[in-house]
Amino acid sequence: MENNIESAVDEILEIIEANREEVEKDLRKFIEYGVPLEHAKKAVINKYSGSAKEKKLKDVNINEKNIITVAKIIFIDEREIEVRGEKRKIYRGWLGDETARLQFTAWKDFDLKEGDVIKIKNASSSEWMEQPRLNLSERTEVEKLDYDIELIKRFPERYNLVDLRPGLSNVEVRGKIMSIEEREVSVGDDIKKVFSGIIADETAKVRFTAWKDFDLKEGDVIKIRGGYVRKWRGAPQLNFDENAELEKLDEEILIEEKIVPLYKIVQAQGGIDLCFQGVILEVRKDSGIIFRCPKCNKRIKEGICDDDGEVDGNPDLRIKVLVDDGTGAVDVILNREISEKLLNKNMDEFLNLAKEAMDYGIVYDEIVNSLLTKTIKVRGDSIQSDLIVTISAKDAEIIKIDEKKEAEELLMQLEG
Amino acid sequence: MREPAWRIFAAEYNDSNHVIQAKGERATKYILTPLGAIVNRLFIVGVLTDIEEIGVEGIRRRARISDPTGIHVVYAEAFKPEVASMLADMEIPSYIAVVGKVRVYEPEEGMLYLSARTEMAKEVTIETRNQWIIEASRNTLMRINALKDAMNMENPSAKHLKELGYPYTIGKGVVEALKVYKDVDLNHYEMLIREALSFITSVPKEMKKDYGEAEEKLISIIEKMQGEEGALWENVIEEGIKEGIEKEIVEEVIVALMEKGTIYEPQLGRLKVV
Repeated sequence: MENNIESAVDEILEIIEANREEVEKDLRKFIEYGVPLEHAKKAVINKYSGSAKEKKLKDVNINEKNIITVAKIIFIDEREIEVRGEKRKIYRGWLGDETARLQFTAWKDFDLKEGDVIKIKNASSSEWMEQPRLNLSERTEVEKLDYDIELIKRFPERYNLVDLRPGLSNVEVRGKIMSIEEREVSVGDDIKKVFSGIIADETAKVRFTAWKDFDLKEGDVIKIRGGYVRKWRGAPQLNFDENAELEKLDEEILIEEKIVPLYKIVQAQGGIDLCFQGVILEVRKDSGIIFRCPKCNKRIKEGICDDDGEVDGNPDLRIKVLVDDGTGAVDVILNREISEKLLNKNMDEFLNLAKEAMDYGIVYDEIVNSLLTKTIKVRGDSIQSDLIVTISAKDAEIIKIDEKKEAEELLMQLEG
Repeated sequence: MREPAWRIFAAEYNDSNHVIQAKGERATKYILTPLGAIVNRLFIVGVLTDIEEIGVEGIRRRARISDPTGIHVVYAEAFKPEVASMLADMEIPSYIAVVGKVRVYEPEEGMLYLSARTEMAKEVTIETRNQWIIEASRNTLMRINALKDAMNMENPSAKHLKELGYPYTIGKGVVEALKVYKDVDLNHYEMLIREALSFITSVPKEMKKDYGEAEEKLISIIEKMQGEEGALWENVIEEGIKEGIEKEIVEEVIVALMEKGTIYEPQLGRLKVV
């Protein structure tokens, strides 16, 4: 026991700044009262939590409190979430020091930018993908420092394109250039030539931007080491610049349409030319006949356009549904053409129905009747959205499966 | 992130005894099932066998939905009057689809009653029901396979399971379930999947040929014994055996009759003819 107490005191003093004798006295008192050693240790650490020691990121464990550390913001992204029915903004990203890099969530706006070096006091940690994630809450103090720190060097990690998500850096990917074009962007006062296009592998297509001329042509199969991923126009975009290594490969990649499970699309926060399948579990309330401004095509309400005032609106049919495949959920927007195909009725028929009933709500009811709980296969691109990944469909169809065949296949698997 | 709607058989859901209360701002509640599903939202399709008014105002409703493995209990709360009145208007029996959030009632420690709080309900066709059975079977089978793979690992972790191709959340749940539930009888759940799938593969006419007589006998047994409350499940089985039907067939026929909607469970363990 004595040895245990000694080593427990050592452990406590690694975490907090305090007088050794006092720590030992406090610890023994808890043990006298019959508190198990592990609990007693935590209780003492809690007591001195105000004097926690600054630690390196590699020493941060899951579910710790009162963390003090110095780190550099590698990536930060703002997002809106719903807490008990209220929308609020949080900030997610990566920070690092010379020992590790960790995900973080800031629950309030600390005005952080990429490259900031900050001292953090009173942060806590939780679990994310089996790694600790730092939480900066209302109670956390953040102070910006005026010096730079080294970041841990890492080997690039290999990813399939379908697994790329905003915030990743130092990735290695392999793919085929499907399209590429040169364009000019202004970076500060300079005009810079960049090359943007679409790269694809067996798993997905992704937009890319090369910030340097790598002499890429359509059809090239390449390997990139040291790329990074940012969100752009509602989808992940692969970026690579002069820090990346690029190699042209002498191989073919077979590009074919594959159904992607929705949790992957949710993790990637979107994507282009996506193909997925799921059940329609909700028809969003603003589905049905809407009216658009004849001048700017924006949706108008009660004959008034926000920009153009009172106008004679043009009717349009559009549907927004929640599609869920059991692993994740996304919103899907269906335009007039696709909606008419799925509902087997054209917009004029719906307009007549609504006129007869003197209620546009009847169109909504009919959409619910024919689409809710149906399985739908969708192809489309994600668009900018806050709360839930939203896909604008390029095509969609209601799927009927061969239930007997599928059931027999599953029974075979059970035998195997 | 919106919680996905798990397709999960009643037997697995109702066997769960572990609640995970997420920390942090949202404090989301999850059920960890014996096969490692971490469920906050469910998608259920089955046969509506019973619906009752509860509470003083009579706005809330409790309904029972039978799937091939057991009964899902769902509630329609007063703040969702459109769902409650929709349920009230439905005929019994009929095929129904429900999306709901987990609901936990724990009258004393270790005693969990699990159900779902309905967000959406709709009458559906048998095709939708069959499609659901296939999805639920496929997902359940994947978790069983993940559990088997995890059992073969020295240090099972979600990361290792991810390398084998399982989604991270499945791996995480499976590793957690191994710790919480210790010895999970995987054979039992495999059998349930088999039974569920046989609803789709077996031709209903054959069923009638084989068990037609047994069905009639059991219906008349239940009618005799049901009274106000319904006949006790055990007594029906006992009487069935006395009538010369094998125990296994009695059980199978009862489940089949519930599935058809000929009989239903007014409360757990009791049977009544519609």
